[in-house]
Amino acid sequence: MIFAPTELTPAEERLRRDVREFLAAELPPDFRPGLGLGGRHDPEFSRKLAAHGWVGMAIPTEYGGGGATPVERFVVVEELLAAGAPILAHWVAERQTAPTLLAFGTQEQREWFLPRIAAGECWFSLGMSEPDAGSDLASVRTAATKVDGGWLVNGTKIWTSAAHLNHFFVVLCRTSPAEDRHHGLSQLIVDLHAPGLKVSPIHYLDGGHHFNEVVFDDVFVPDDRVLGEVGAGWHQVTSELAYERSGPDRYLSVFGLLKAFVTEFGESFDDAQRAAVGRASAKLWTIRQLSLAVARSLERGAAPAVEAALVKDIGTLYEQEVVEVLRHVAGQEIDPGGARMFERLLAEAVQTAPAFTLRGGTTEVLRSIAAKGLTGARR
Amino acid sequence: MSRGDTELVAEAVGELLRGRCTQETVAAAERTGWAPELWAGLAEGGFPWISVPEERGGVGGTVAEACAVLEQVGRYAAPLPVAETGLLAGWMSASAGLDVPAGPVTTAPTARSVDAPATVTVQRTSSGWAASGRAARVPWAREASRVVLLADSPDGLQVISLDPATAHIEPGVNLAGEPRDTVHLDDVAVDAVAEAPAGVDHDALLLRGALSRAALIAGAAGRVLDITVTYTNERRQFGRPVARFQAVAAHLVKLAEQTEAVRMAARVAAANGGTASGPWFLDVAAAKTVASEAAGLVAAAAHQATGAMGMTREYELGQLTRRLWSWREEYGGELLWSTRLGAALADAGADALWPAIARGAVA
Ligand SMILES: Cc1cc2nc3c(=O)[nH]c(=O)nc-3n(C[C@H](O)[C@H](O)[C@H](O)COP(=O)(O)OP(=O)(O)OC[C@H]3O[C@@H](n4cnc5c(N)ncnc54)[C@H](O)[C@@H]3O)c2cc1C
Repeated sequence: MIFAPTELTPAEERLRRDVREFLAAELPPDFRPGLGLGGRHDPEFSRKLAAHGWVGMAIPTEYGGGGATPVERFVVVEELLAAGAPILAHWVAERQTAPTLLAFGTQEQREWFLPRIAAGECWFSLGMSEPDAGSDLASVRTAATKVDGGWLVNGTKIWTSAAHLNHFFVVLCRTSPAEDRHHGLSQLIVDLHAPGLKVSPIHYLDGGHHFNEVVFDDVFVPDDRVLGEVGAGWHQVTSELAYERSGPDRYLSVFGLLKAFVTEFGESFDDAQRAAVGRASAKLWTIRQLSLAVARSLERGAAPAVEAALVKDIGTLYEQEVVEVLRHVAGQEIDPGGARMFERLLAEAVQTAPAFTLRGGTTEVLRSIAAKGLTGARR
Repeated sequence: MSRGDTELVAEAVGELLRGRCTQETVAAAERTGWAPELWAGLAEGGFPWISVPEERGGVGGTVAEACAVLEQVGRYAAPLPVAETGLLAGWMSASAGLDVPAGPVTTAPTARSVDAPATVTVQRTSSGWAASGRAARVPWAREASRVVLLADSPDGLQVISLDPATAHIEPGVNLAGEPRDTVHLDDVAVDAVAEAPAGVDHDALLLRGALSRAALIAGAAGRVLDITVTYTNERRQFGRPVARFQAVAAHLVKLAEQTEAVRMAARVAAANGGTASGPWFLDVAAAKTVASEAAGLVAAAAHQATGAMGMTREYELGQLTRRLWSWREEYGGELLWSTRLGAALADAGADALWPAIARGAVA
């Protein structure tokens, strides 16, 4: 395992201080922090952040990024998430799409997309899941048929977060009905406003609109929007999921709730409440160090896939535990329209928390991948 | 009343709700705050007034039968103040010698223990009585024909019954969108006031309320189990039903265990029901502790097993889990009840511990 206690350099700590100052100036005192589902979609905020060079930090400077290290990006991202800042607009593009484009995209795609992503002006969703393809992602049926100059796509994607707000999504689809289900898959970059594409809301448990159903009816995708190689979609998407895994978004989803509990009740805590906050903080302190160690190891060129899976598992379970423990020691009815921030956040968190161990791959599936890695039976 | 009667009542109300309390009925009530036709159906059968004596406007019957009805109400997520109308407000009114009116009646605790001052006070005026203060999180106060509350007065604790039209009602909801309103009383004339008799006080209301929520949770958990078993047997991934994966099967087993446990706890407490003190306190405190804890475990296991589908508004699971997450805190969560139970057991001494546990249902 690559886990080693990790120090931050003075330069990294200075960066943190700058981000904190920015957030203190930007977020109003009564700011309601985003929980779990990534915070609010706020183009204005994304652009301001980009103006400081804090979007697409890890994108090389030649493509308009910051050329920063994984740890520098880690520091910025953890500050943003701890504050519950409204980063949803650029979040997927910068966390996931940019590294995928760097790894597999054509020169032309990199030159077109990456500077826009780094400017906080080009937003992406993920088009993986389908009604019949959840955990079993390789069974996707959305099909792209070759036509002159591109592909015609038909099928249905589901649970597509923020598709109603973003510009593009990366779609995993079948480009040949291969016998081996892992070949014959490709990734396409699809304009979410393309003719023939219909985005419809799927309402979340608490009534909110986060995810969507996206139906393709003969949607034309030009050849230059094929991401990577035709037929290499499975390989690309599985390496992409590894990036998704172990970052601070896997354990900071409910930090705003923990903080609000201390802000609003800290002075009158009883011992059970003190112990709950103590425990939640101790675990967070530890998990953050694990995640930071993963980031540092990436800097040295490691590929800590198993470690990343372990951090995601510990982190997401931790997030759920915090919600449970806080509501337990708060010991009050949950009032979604309550006067206090803590109550309102708790109402949201209780209904959001089950998703922490589903999105980006369920606990069960994640564990079987991690276990294979641990026992050396790598695929 | 025998066990057979309890089952008959459960079957009758279950059949009615199965037909009339659909997912759409519940969703519609969440938007409008009320399900008038569903209420009319239940009222016609007399179900909300079970356990309230006939001479006070009820239909008679036992606490166990009332709880059997509540299990079905929980099972179908019926958005109605059934617990309040009979077991809680109906009981308080009838015990104090006040008549139980037609229509939905509601109540909520105005203090968490007999030693605490009530948040509502009532005083004699030249023409009668006037009440002041506020009652928080009162179920469906906006739709009730009466709000029945425990109020402090210079002459001791009173049961007051008032017309909500005389109060200022501030709307609120729980996580399931069920109305939980705040009733503000600003020197409001009250026409029905009676001294709270022995056995009717804040502790007794809290106890009955806790029992009602345990029964509701038991019912909802049973339905969550059924939905989840069905879904995971129909949902196929990797060429087989997901229920066949060991990890998913483990969730189903946990769901079944928790559901049976909470059902047992709620039913034993209900069967022993009636008196506010003595062993019944231990039963209800234990039942609500178990039920509130089970509610969270059941919801978590069901959501994990049903994946993203379970997290949508359209799918019926959420109607039930949002209720489980609400009801577990109402009338005290597991922290309150386990603390009270532990305190009572410690006070009684070590030698009384095993005898307190090794008791059967009286039925
Ligand atoms: C809030 C949220 C946002 C999301 N956003 C997006 C998005 O933007 N884009 C996108 O493409 N998808 C998105 N998803 C979908 C997400 O990736 C899927 O929910 C996830 O992959 C699981 O698929 P499923 O929900 O179909 O569950 P299923 O695959 O049906 O799983 C049901 C149960 O079976 C278990 N199971 C399945 N296979 C196995 C196995 N082999 N071994 C053991 N257990 C197994 C699962 O762990 C789960 O408990 C989102 C989901 C959520 C909840």
